[in-house]
Amino acid sequence: MKIRRELWFGFSLMAIIIVTVLIFTPWASLFDGHLSHDDLGALGLLMLALIVVAIMLGFPTAFTLMGMGVAFGWLAYRSVNPQIATQQILDLMVQRAYSVMSNDVLIAIPLFVFMGYLVERANLIEKLFKSLHLALARVPGALAVATIVTCAIFATATGIVGAVVTLMGLLALPAMLRAGYSVQLSAGAITAGGCLGILIPPSVLLIVYGATAGVSVVKLYAGAFFPGIMLAGLYVLFVIIVAKLKPHLAPPLSEEERRVVLPPISQALSGRSRNAVAGLFGGLRDAGLPRRSVVGQLFVTLLPALSIVALLLLVYGGATAPVAAVDTSGLVQAGSGMPAEETAEPSSGLQEPPMESAADSAGVKEPEALGTAAAPVAAPSAAAPRVAPAQAAAPVAPAAERVPAPTWFWIVFASGIAALLLITWLMNWQRLEIFKMLLTSFFPLAVMIVAVLGSIVFGLATPTEAAAVGAFGGLLLAGAYRYVAARQSHRPHPINATLRDLGGIMKESSFLTAKTSAMVCWLFVGSSIFSASFALLGGQELIERWVLSLGLTTVQFMILSQFIIFILGWPLEWTEIIVIFMPIFIPLLAKFGVDPLFFGLLVALNLQTAFLSPPVAMAAFYLKGVSPRHVTLNQIFAGMMPFMGIQVLAIILLYMFPQIGLWLPQLLYK
Amino acid sequence: MQKLLLTIDKISTFVGHAFSWLIVALTFLISWEVFSRYVLDHPHPWAFDVMIMMYGTLIVMAGAYTLAKSGHVRGDVLYGFFRPRTQATIDLVLYVIFFIPGVFALTYAGYYYAAESWAIWEHSNVTAEGPPIYPFKTMLPLAGAFLFLQGIVEIIRCVICIRQGEWPSREEDVEEVDVDKLKQMVHVKDEDIARLDQLVVQEGGKK
Repeated sequence: MKIRRELWFGFSLMAIIIVTVLIFTPWASLFDGHLSHDDLGALGLLMLALIVVAIMLGFPTAFTLMGMGVAFGWLAYRSVNPQIATQQILDLMVQRAYSVMSNDVLIAIPLFVFMGYLVERANLIEKLFKSLHLALARVPGALAVATIVTCAIFATATGIVGAVVTLMGLLALPAMLRAGYSVQLSAGAITAGGCLGILIPPSVLLIVYGATAGVSVVKLYAGAFFPGIMLAGLYVLFVIIVAKLKPHLAPPLSEEERRVVLPPISQALSGRSRNAVAGLFGGLRDAGLPRRSVVGQLFVTLLPALSIVALLLLVYGGATAPVAAVDTSGLVQAGSGMPAEETAEPSSGLQEPPMESAADSAGVKEPEALGTAAAPVAAPSAAAPRVAPAQAAAPVAPAAERVPAPTWFWIVFASGIAALLLITWLMNWQRLEIFKMLLTSFFPLAVMIVAVLGSIVFGLATPTEAAAVGAFGGLLLAGAYRYVAARQSHRPHPINATLRDLGGIMKESSFLTAKTSAMVCWLFVGSSIFSASFALLGGQELIERWVLSLGLTTVQFMILSQFIIFILGWPLEWTEIIVIFMPIFIPLLAKFGVDPLFFGLLVALNLQTAFLSPPVAMAAFYLKGVSPRHVTLNQIFAGMMPFMGIQVLAIILLYMFPQIGLWLPQLLYK
Repeated sequence: MQKLLLTIDKISTFVGHAFSWLIVALTFLISWEVFSRYVLDHPHPWAFDVMIMMYGTLIVMAGAYTLAKSGHVRGDVLYGFFRPRTQATIDLVLYVIFFIPGVFALTYAGYYYAAESWAIWEHSNVTAEGPPIYPFKTMLPLAGAFLFLQGIVEIIRCVICIRQGEWPSREEDVEEVDVDKLKQMVHVKDEDIARLDQLVVQEGGKK
């Protein structure tokens, strides 16, 4: 048999480790049972070396950790008191296992995973991609940008890299190839976008890190939000720049692909006025048209305006609430920046659908105004979490006088009204169609994400509660989409069909959830037994002493640790890296004065890079599985490289400007 | 033999499937509790304990099921390159060295841990009158026993594989990324992908 090069490499690495282990094992003292302090420390390091070998051999990691932890823990106890060593290690083990079983941080994992599977099965990605593609049609590299945005949103809600990449490979790759995009760019956009779910909260990775490092998950979520958005933004920026500089890689969409088909009623009314709002108001008086659908259309058209008014009222309520609630108004204001930021991109695209005549070019002339207009469009999504602070503020001191509205409120008010007018004015028939499509695909998901995240970040609900309500929302979403699908395909008894579908979805999702969370949590059981033994043996102490003796500066330490994690990302999965190696790194952080929260954000960004680094990048293999025969793995890898570069850039940016990540948590949880 | 293996697989799977439904119950319970607390202003003191118990039961009882579907994460760097026989040999050795002692110790220790809890009719101390906690603690040795059983099945699988040179089959189950199902979901057919191939070839020709 011809042994492959990889195997040789792996085996020789293992041989080196094992030989070192054999040489340094304190055999003599191991047999007579009198281990000195240093012997124990050496044993601890051996344990660490052995675990690396065992993991590389490919045995289920959870049980490797458990078995090794028990054996070495027993040795450690035996060196102190041989009589009760067995009892001690058994006690340690069962207590560690029980602490994972009754862990109130890890409980959020199955719930978020469940939510992810439900949303994935709601089958809304097709609609989402199509509506974003039309909404972003004017942007250079429109399809790639739409792919990244779709991925970011969908991956955030589901968090399942494999499914997102596969689905986008089925939907976006054909679309991009047909539009003449290069294979590399298309593949890169899909794989990079699909991995965003690892970082952008609510992500399971951050929960696992929080549980391991003892950092509040809430803070991690607040902290990871902007780095995640920044990374997605950098991807989009990169695609736009490439499309501008090298149009042959991402040609602009043809008129055909940008056209929005108008429904008959809009066609009938479009003769009246170019503006949808005016046209629909005119249509009200037209007896020849079905009145109900005109009113319905009008309601949809006025939705942005209504939500802006509702938002302004809420902000007014918050701003003029009695003095006791002054903090709350600050909170509301701070919050308004966040959801707007998230949705600004897609909705600014909303303002730029195909324009057919020069008369309509106002949108082109006023890009800045559009930018500000875009933010309040996001208002409906932001409204949900914001209701509560404002309402909570009101009953605090009902007797107190309402304060007069501060100046900033009037500025917000004026810009809100301006946005309202602008949206109404710009709302032509094509835009109305796109808006309706977004309303059924983009906004429900965005509202759900913002509601889940917002309630966690603003402290209204614990991550567990938010996750459960999110899963419930996912169930409703899946039900609603299945119902619409059943209605559209004219199946008999749409409600029954939907319920049957929903039952199937729930069954599959809960089975998958059970497997995924059992995998993570048994890994936790194993690793907590392992790290307890490691600490008992004094391995931790030895590593600490060694690292401190190197005399590293904080920067050097950070670079070294991130580099080690990056390297570990090749052979290991992120779950293993976090639960096995984080307990070793975390105690060192205090010595170097590094905030574990900040470290966690860097680790999350870093581990995301591992998903894109060849040759082990899972995302590439998922994409390869559904792409045409002549798309090679090398092409996909080549496409991923620039995005990997962007990730490294993002890590550096985050390191240089920690405020990107720390600003929000510091603001909220001073 | 194969029949026996599949039967035990089925038992593990059945137990796993049965306990999986706890996630649905958990979702509804917490959603209701949130509604009850924030809207009806009527929190239930037992909710937290019950939540934890449901979660804990779910994850430990799904352990054997996950093992039966080879769902536990493993380092895939080298393992994937091995021939089945090599894989089975490594697995067999490591099952005996790590799995059997580890899981046996866990089950054994868990049994006494639960027994102590039963002996004193232990109640949760999170709230003043917490619900009984001994049934929950019983789940740990129970899950350990199922896991142990499944581990023995896996060992027999390894032996069969070493003899035959290929892995004996497993029962099918839902998969996280089921490409065919996803294709159906977004209405993409294999022909479409094949047609797309021409575009890729054309583009390659241009350069």
